[in-house]
Amino acid sequence: MEEEEIGHKGFDLRLMARLMNFLRPYAWWVVLTFVLIIVASVVRQAGPYLTKIAVDDYIVPGDVDGLTYLVMIYIGLLVAQFGVGYCQSWTTNMIGQWAMHDVRLQIFMHLQRLPMRFFDRTPVGRLMARNTNDVDALNELFTDGIVSMISDIFTIVTILAYIFYMDVTLGLLICLALPVAFVATVWLQNKTFFAYRIARTLFARFSSSLQETVSGMEVVQLFGCEDRCVKRFEDPNKEYLDARLKSTFYHAVYFPIMELGGVLLSALVLWYGGVRVLDGEIQWGVLVAMLQYVPRFFMPLRDIADRFTVLQVAMASSERIFELLDTKPESLGGTVKADHLKGEIEFQNVWFAYNEGEWVLRDVSFRVAPGQSLALVGATGAGKSTVIGLVCRFYDIQRGAILVDGVDIREWDVEELRRRIGVVQQDVFLFAGDIEANISLGHPRISRQEVEQAARDVNADRFIDKLPDTYEHEVLERGSSLSVGQRQLISFARTLASGPDILILDEATANVDTETEMWIQDAVAKLMRSRTSIAIAHRLSTIRNADNILVMHRGQIREEGDHDTLLKQNGIYARLYQLQYEGT
Amino acid sequence: MSLNFFKPFAEYVYPHRWKIFWGLVLLLGTQAVQALVPLLMKWAIDTAKAGLDVGDLTGDVVDTITGSPMGDLQMYGALMVGLGIAQWGMSFGMRWFIASASRFIERDIRTIYVRHIVRLPLSFFQAQRVGDLMARATNDVEAIQRFFYFAYRLSLQAVLSFVLSLILMCIIDWQLALLALAPMPVMAFCARWVGQKVRVGYRRVQEQFAAVSSKIQENLTGMRMVKAFAMRPLEIVDFGILNEEYVTRNRHLIKIRSLYYPFTFLLSGVSMIVILWLGGLRVIEGSLSLGAFVAFNAYLLRMSRPMSMLGRIVDEYQRAVASLRRIEEVLKVSPQPDVAGGTTGDIRGEIEFRNTSFSYNGQRVLKDINLRIEAGSTLAVVGRVGSGKSTLARLIPRLIQADEGRVLIDGKPVEDIPLQTIRDATGYVPQDAFLFSDTIRENVALGTRAEGDVVRATEISQLAPDLHLFPEQLETIVGERGVTLSGGQKQRTAIARAVIREPRILIMDDALASVDTRTEEEILKYLREIMASRTTILIAHRISTVKDADHIIVLDEGRIVEQGSHDELVDHDGIYADMFRRQHLARELEIL
Repeated sequence: MEEEEIGHKGFDLRLMARLMNFLRPYAWWVVLTFVLIIVASVVRQAGPYLTKIAVDDYIVPGDVDGLTYLVMIYIGLLVAQFGVGYCQSWTTNMIGQWAMHDVRLQIFMHLQRLPMRFFDRTPVGRLMARNTNDVDALNELFTDGIVSMISDIFTIVTILAYIFYMDVTLGLLICLALPVAFVATVWLQNKTFFAYRIARTLFARFSSSLQETVSGMEVVQLFGCEDRCVKRFEDPNKEYLDARLKSTFYHAVYFPIMELGGVLLSALVLWYGGVRVLDGEIQWGVLVAMLQYVPRFFMPLRDIADRFTVLQVAMASSERIFELLDTKPESLGGTVKADHLKGEIEFQNVWFAYNEGEWVLRDVSFRVAPGQSLALVGATGAGKSTVIGLVCRFYDIQRGAILVDGVDIREWDVEELRRRIGVVQQDVFLFAGDIEANISLGHPRISRQEVEQAARDVNADRFIDKLPDTYEHEVLERGSSLSVGQRQLISFARTLASGPDILILDEATANVDTETEMWIQDAVAKLMRSRTSIAIAHRLSTIRNADNILVMHRGQIREEGDHDTLLKQNGIYARLYQLQYEGT
Repeated sequence: MSLNFFKPFAEYVYPHRWKIFWGLVLLLGTQAVQALVPLLMKWAIDTAKAGLDVGDLTGDVVDTITGSPMGDLQMYGALMVGLGIAQWGMSFGMRWFIASASRFIERDIRTIYVRHIVRLPLSFFQAQRVGDLMARATNDVEAIQRFFYFAYRLSLQAVLSFVLSLILMCIIDWQLALLALAPMPVMAFCARWVGQKVRVGYRRVQEQFAAVSSKIQENLTGMRMVKAFAMRPLEIVDFGILNEEYVTRNRHLIKIRSLYYPFTFLLSGVSMIVILWLGGLRVIEGSLSLGAFVAFNAYLLRMSRPMSMLGRIVDEYQRAVASLRRIEEVLKVSPQPDVAGGTTGDIRGEIEFRNTSFSYNGQRVLKDINLRIEAGSTLAVVGRVGSGKSTLARLIPRLIQADEGRVLIDGKPVEDIPLQTIRDATGYVPQDAFLFSDTIRENVALGTRAEGDVVRATEISQLAPDLHLFPEQLETIVGERGVTLSGGQKQRTAIARAVIREPRILIMDDALASVDTRTEEEILKYLREIMASRTTILIAHRISTVKDADHIIVLDEGRIVEQGSHDELVDHDGIYADMFRRQHLARELEIL
């Protein structure tokens, strides 16, 4: 579980400015929203003022027709209020949705450009949270936070305008509430901000301790430390209760104070307003309207306190989103492109380490001529997969050079290069979709005929034809309905359909039934025959068919040659061969 | 929805019933006091108006209490201040009682939940995702808390303020009161209709959200593929379509949801108009006083706010009930069966399997195992991955339960020995050592022994030589917030953890796989002393680990296919002998 902590700074203007950038494309909508907010508060707060007119001009003098006329106006206003309120809610929410659409897309596009290294280190769950929970928090920031707060402020301003228009003295009296409310709100914010932060930290602590207990339940039960684990959870849970009670207390103090303020102000208005009416300085209607405005005035005042909390939570989310967007993307490479590769690959004294100082490849040099096939063999951890990753430029090397068609790999346009290289991975990754989509990978330029042709070429048609709906067969849950061998054949077809000039094959070690094994061997031979290929080979047939074999050991090339020559050397290859193929 | 919200929650509310009770009493108090305020306004205005109409503000010409309209006005103002202060005190108490009760209930449910799950059989955890179990302890418990804190209080407030206001309005003028509230049922009906539409729209939005999320998940999980096939533009288009559809569905939802608040404003607005018009006409007629007119307006305003929250209240109540159901789902699972009786004396450590079989997911993992391990002897188990080695070992401390045949310790079926006794007597070192984010010392001791033993245990497990690599030796915190241990260091910590308990039965489930051969030899050298007097089960891949065991069994597809001493098995020239030859070769390769 990810620790959810509130931002350190609370409200950060720089962050805010960056967030506002997402609203720029909808600037006119935002302006419209503000106009609607102003119109809405003017219309919505007109009620008491109309009551004043009704009382003073019609009710007290006894003008029935005038009252009816005014009621018609009121009905008109009510309809207008409904319309404006609806439009405002619609534009506010839609701007939020549009902006979030853009944020999500931007995050997604950015993720596509991040280097493989980033994904090696970052758990998928964390990235998911950025694009879901954090984006939602941003939406809330906009709709429930900023817009509502602005709307609250306009409501307060509008009410003050009506009040002052009616009577300045009583207006000033009502204004007394502002500093009091302001002080109370600031006090609440100060108190709860820290209590909230502490509570979130404790929450994170007990949930991570609980998560640990659940994940390590076997150890917990075996070693009889259930009580200890419960206690490790209960202590922060207890502290969490205390922290929450503290902020609960502040809230329990704050809201009644605001209520009290409302009643006190009403009493003041009633008394002082009454006195002024009796003195003949104001009319009855003014007093009636004022008494209606006081509670209306306090509602937005106390709601603003809630908006602040929303803002603070969302700030932490936006911080995390921007941190992700600021991660440096992988290099796009150079500008060299080609419609077709000859297929020459050369490693010149390549050194490579995933982590500084821990060399995975040491001084590796080899060359694959166009059309030739190369098999990489060696024990686990010898560096075979790394070689493959480097040819695709998933990682950049520290020393030496890798040349493709005689051009340094760094000068190739990365995506163009990858497009020309076909990779068959050890773990076949199937996407949600049907078989056809999993072979064409959605490339519009790959027709159904080509998909079927590719499937036939790698013998995958034999099982696809037997599936219900054949090529339209939906792959369930990452292909769990298909056997390992079938998944491999699909991945062959997929690679072949992409029409690569260079083939890279990371053979799976998994056992498959004899018949499928036969089809796979046949397919591998076909795949490797007509183009430059590099294979991490586990099948004897693949190794034997290769033009050249590199034996890797601890990041170095130790032996090179074809099968028979290497066997005669009686070195590492001979032993690996004995280990893997003799006696099984 | 009945007013008795408690029913599903009764069990958890009961311990805090007095808080809730006082909260409710005070809630009633605040509502009663608040309902009086408009009444005060009415009296104040009526007296003042009477005085003004007569033209005497200080004399005793109208019915006044203090003797003059001016004096009455001051008195009503003062009374209002008094009511305000009374309300302030009660409102604080009410909020505090109810809100703190909600927090206590939250803590209680969470505690009950956690105490329960640690007693559940391990098979339960295999079928559950950690994230889901966590969500119940966090999100679901919070949903219940929020309901008590917010929706519960507000719903009672809404009902009380509605009823009280209605009564007082009826007392002033029942005809006008009923007329003013006449549009409400119509509006309530409409609100319900909107609510239903919103729910449908919301479900559609959630579905699309799930689609967007799984697209991202798939993309990120398959990133190597995406890059290798240069699928970036296609993936962005794909995602864009889903993202677009998400906005579209949200637009449909917003189209309806945006009706909600303007609707509630319309609701109170219509009532306002009724008061203004019909009330105004009555004032002109003289059948309603100006003060009553003001009071009516004030009551309507008071009713409108909680009414506008009704939708949210219903929503939160439903969410809380659903959450409670999810929590109780887990609470209903019964804990692992156990026999009472604490420790039934010492365990010697003789283990016997009698026709033992075990199936997992319908597959027989162990078939008819018959095996006797003498107390104090060492048994080594070898075999391929998936041959049933770990399953065999896990049957002993009852981490799993045999479905046919039995497992006996000291001649007694394991089911008849208290779990605590077996587990105290067993030191189990699992394949992947699980460490808590705590100090190394705590990870070894797990709350059991004195300090000297921790040091000794780390020496035996050969963790001691590595301790100086950590900033605070034994006190170094491991895990996400501390240092990361290597696989070998983790395994040695787990060995120390088992050794410190001086178990009668020591089970090493491939526990030396991540340490290099030299360290392995060191560990075995120390362990041998301990193993001499204890029953030891040694599961391993390396022949070097097992060759000195008293007895070696080879498992294949859940059956014992070979057994005997190292020399016997090598002579037998079967699976074991083959393993021995291969490992010899591999060893040679390593040296090259």
